[in-house]
Amino acid sequence: MTDPPAFASLEDVVRAPQFPDADLALRAGRHVDRDEAELYRFLDDAEPFLVELYDRFACQLVRRSEGYFFLLPRGDRLGLRHFTIAEMLVGQSLALAYLDPATVAAGGRVTRDQVLARLAGLLGDDTLVAALNPRRRRGHHDARVAEETARTEIGKALRGLASLGFIDLLDDERIRVRAPLLRFADPVRGLDEPGVALERLIAEGEIEPLPFEGGADAPHATTPSGAAQTARSEPRAEPDA
Amino acid sequence: MPEPDPSPHDLDADDDAARRSATRDPTRLLAALQRDRVSLELRTLDLCFLVALRIRSAREGLACFEEPELLDVFEQVCDLVEPGADNTRKRATHAIQRLRDQRLLRRVDGAGILGPGEYSLTRLATGIIDFLLEDEALTRESLTLLTKALLVNLGDVASAARKATSAEDWRTRVIGPLQVTVADLVSGIERRQRGLDDQQDDVKLRIGELLQRDWFESVDRCESLLEVTATTLAELNEVLLHDAAQMTSVLDEIERAAAAADAAAAEEAAQRVSEQIDRVAAWGRTRQRAWSDYYQYIHGYLRDVVRLDPERALSERLRDGLARFLDRPFALLAARAPAIRVPRDVTGAVLRSPVVRPPRERERPLVEEDRDDAARSVEDLVADALAASPSTLSAVLRTVLPHLPPAGRYLATGRATEAVAPLAADTRDRRWVRIDGALEIEDWTLAPAPPPAGSDAAAPSSNAAAAARPRGAP
Repeated sequence: MTDPPAFASLEDVVRAPQFPDADLALRAGRHVDRDEAELYRFLDDAEPFLVELYDRFACQLVRRSEGYFFLLPRGDRLGLRHFTIAEMLVGQSLALAYLDPATVAAGGRVTRDQVLARLAGLLGDDTLVAALNPRRRRGHHDARVAEETARTEIGKALRGLASLGFIDLLDDERIRVRAPLLRFADPVRGLDEPGVALERLIAEGEIEPLPFEGGADAPHATTPSGAAQTARSEPRAEPDA
Repeated sequence: MPEPDPSPHDLDADDDAARRSATRDPTRLLAALQRDRVSLELRTLDLCFLVALRIRSAREGLACFEEPELLDVFEQVCDLVEPGADNTRKRATHAIQRLRDQRLLRRVDGAGILGPGEYSLTRLATGIIDFLLEDEALTRESLTLLTKALLVNLGDVASAARKATSAEDWRTRVIGPLQVTVADLVSGIERRQRGLDDQQDDVKLRIGELLQRDWFESVDRCESLLEVTATTLAELNEVLLHDAAQMTSVLDEIERAAAAADAAAAEEAAQRVSEQIDRVAAWGRTRQRAWSDYYQYIHGYLRDVVRLDPERALSERLRDGLARFLDRPFALLAARAPAIRVPRDVTGAVLRSPVVRPPRERERPLVEEDRDDAARSVEDLVADALAASPSTLSAVLRTVLPHLPPAGRYLATGRATEAVAPLAADTRDRRWVRIDGALEIEDWTLAPAPPPAGSDAAAPSSNAAAAARPRGAP
């Protein structure tokens, strides 16, 4: 025998005391996972009604099997946030940490240094610094300043990811990883080639390509105008009043 | 020649003194440790030697070791730890000296140079060895036994406290048992709690290692490890919650009895045990909460990561994807509600005028003043003076001016002269006459006063008008 549904109508959902917090969190781009037990339970119970509600705002309430919810705008009625290059790099590094059994032994905690070391190990110091200094000109740079900027960008990225529910910042050094980090692994899930999976996700509106000249082999690659940061600060459109 | 070691009694006394000092003033204790350069430096071989001595003494019931026994144990340890080492005798001598220098081994025979010595392990050494050997952990059985023993002891102490009539009764039957028996039992629980903490850490490490090594095959073993620890903690917490409340109640009773009998030391001893029991109960709560978080995290990991990716391909693909990310970067998308607009009250625009000097009136404004009655009053005074038929202008002025303020006398002189002018005789011979300290005039001779009406006397020419000047004027 199954439990009766917690909500009989959308009105019940909206009247629930958790609705304002859940709604504000989702609209702010937050990923709500099982660690936020009360909100997660509410979203779990109210999912059919909320899907319908957000559909009217041209948004999709996405639920992932790893146990988290988030809101994905499909149109221009709600602002859209593009993750920055730094957030993408740090997020993928943290996702790797989440999957690593060594993190399990530490109770799901990693340090900022471990994240940086993993990034630097995979990309190389020069490439990492170049990627995080999009306005730096080729040949005209001060390495110390560029590294400082890279560290600042990583700090900003960590704070951004924490505000979106991907991690908890326990203190200046320690980070607690959370299940929504697996969203960063979406392009490499399944059996598709990564390129094919990427195209599919772009078509589905879950990710967008970023303009970026160069790559791992171009140590001084630059973005034309810091497009990621610009896009982030400019929502696609204002919602209706 | 070896230095005689301090007696066991001295060492214990030193330790007690240090503990008391630490309780009273930790700063002084730390300063003393720093001053004496207290340090420990133990090699693996030294630790193994100590452990071997401890095991041998326990097995053979030895209170101390003779020198040949020490050397024998060291050689056995050397064979195990560093097989093939040369000069074991010489190395044993150095090792024994190192341990004596660090107060881990002491000579207890007092024979000095007269013969080979006898040695025993110090409390410091046994403490270190016990830490390394200790595998006691809290189990439901051990905790239940300890708490029951504690309750029985506390019940006896409470009964003794009710019956105590003298200071000796309080000291021997209440304070003593509280400080020794009861405190030792609680310390036993705390020690086993630390053992269980270590076990939990081991379980975490083991789960990490199992996942690292066997990944999907390790899921069942990880889950059973989690379950065992979770069950143990839940049971312990139940026992602690139940028995700690009873113990606290008995201790409260002892405290009340001690307070009523003015036995401050007994009251303090009961409070100390009560604090220990609070600590034990708090341990149970915090550990269960922490384990609950870890339990959820690991179950989530096993469910969402290990079971969904049995081949562990996701990590590899993600690592490759990250390494190539900058070749074709992309960004995840999320909702971003704009900040709420808060309309403000309508207020008029504030226009700021340019900074200029404030306008200033170039001409001084007219000031309305009271009518000057001086002229009329001067003429009245002159008329009064003329009534006395003076012969000269100076006589008139000497009569008039004293009635006027000094500042107005110069002007009044002119007006009086004007009033007198019709009476002035036309003469060219005019003398300068001093009127008062500040004025001199060219004096006139006055004609007799004309008839009051219809008179047509000619006035002297304007040139004949008296000229008055202040003193010193040209």
